[in-house]
Amino acid sequence: MQNLLSHEDWKSCFSEVAPGLLLFARQWVQSAADAEDVVQEAFVKFWRRNHKIENRALLYAAVRSIALDFIRRDSRRARREATAVGDTDEFIEPQFEFEDDTQRALAEAIDFLPCEQREVLVMKIWNELTFAEIADALGISQNTAASRYRYALAALRNMLQPQ
Amino acid sequence: MNDFSQIEKELRKLRPARPSPILFERVEEAMTDGRADASHVRQPERLRYNWLSLGFGLAAAAVLVLFAAVKMERQQQTGKEIAQTSREPEAAPLLNRAQKSTSTDKFVPAGATRLVYNTRDEGLQFAGNSGQPLRRMRYQTHETWQWRNPTTGASLRVSYPAEEVVLIPVSGQ
Repeated sequence: MQNLLSHEDWKSCFSEVAPGLLLFARQWVQSAADAEDVVQEAFVKFWRRNHKIENRALLYAAVRSIALDFIRRDSRRARREATAVGDTDEFIEPQFEFEDDTQRALAEAIDFLPCEQREVLVMKIWNELTFAEIADALGISQNTAASRYRYALAALRNMLQPQ
Repeated sequence: MNDFSQIEKELRKLRPARPSPILFERVEEAMTDGRADASHVRQPERLRYNWLSLGFGLAAAAVLVLFAAVKMERQQQTGKEIAQTSREPEAAPLLNRAQKSTSTDKFVPAGATRLVYNTRDEGLQFAGNSGQPLRRMRYQTHETWQWRNPTTGASLRVSYPAEEVVLIPVSGQ
């Protein structure tokens, strides 16, 4: 069992999960810097509470919770982020490294997904969580998580299909 | 049945942006601080907050008890002062009176008042075998009697309502 208590362990774990966590945090906070703040706080808290990396649902739930607290913390920020969340299809843009126009189009299509579908997609594809873990992290049933994932894939496929 | 394998494959090719190197430094710094903090006792944060709350609560209760004790002590001191200031002038005459009462326990009448606040004429009547008519008058009064001890200066006053019937002989002209 891998435990985050070891200094080297946390480094290897963090370097592995950090990109996915940042992408996950960007579902709620707009700027990359804010997302890094959220991820740092969540990961350090996770480590200090002596959780094991196998319990990933807790880590993602912590990121989500801290991100929502982060939004609520400042009223001006809250208003701005609430607007962003309300218009998630337009403003929240997951950061990807594009290699070609096809990938850019795919990233743009992801932005058009509803937030609830996009967060499941991000957890499943780029964080490799199981539906059980996603359900635990989001407080939904596995069936709901799986449904949202399928809806997201179907929507992306429809958006990317040549007319 | 929908086959999403192709779109999933495309999505997995898409790589999230790498976090900034500063993030690793910040996390490492936080971890080091956390290690120093947690090196002695590593407890759940919620429990620490509960202990903090309990500590603050106890401290507040102690302060309240302290204030209450100080206030009660002040009240007792004030009460003592009042008792002391009032005891001497009061206690001395009482003592003197008690000592002198055996020798000069005499009250002499000092006054009496009789206030007639209602008079009613109840008519003529004949009393007994007398052939002289009498007028029956009823007086409602309020009487006050007063005594005074000339030695001690103490006074006693008694007031009470009274009713009196007076028969007044009526003489014929």
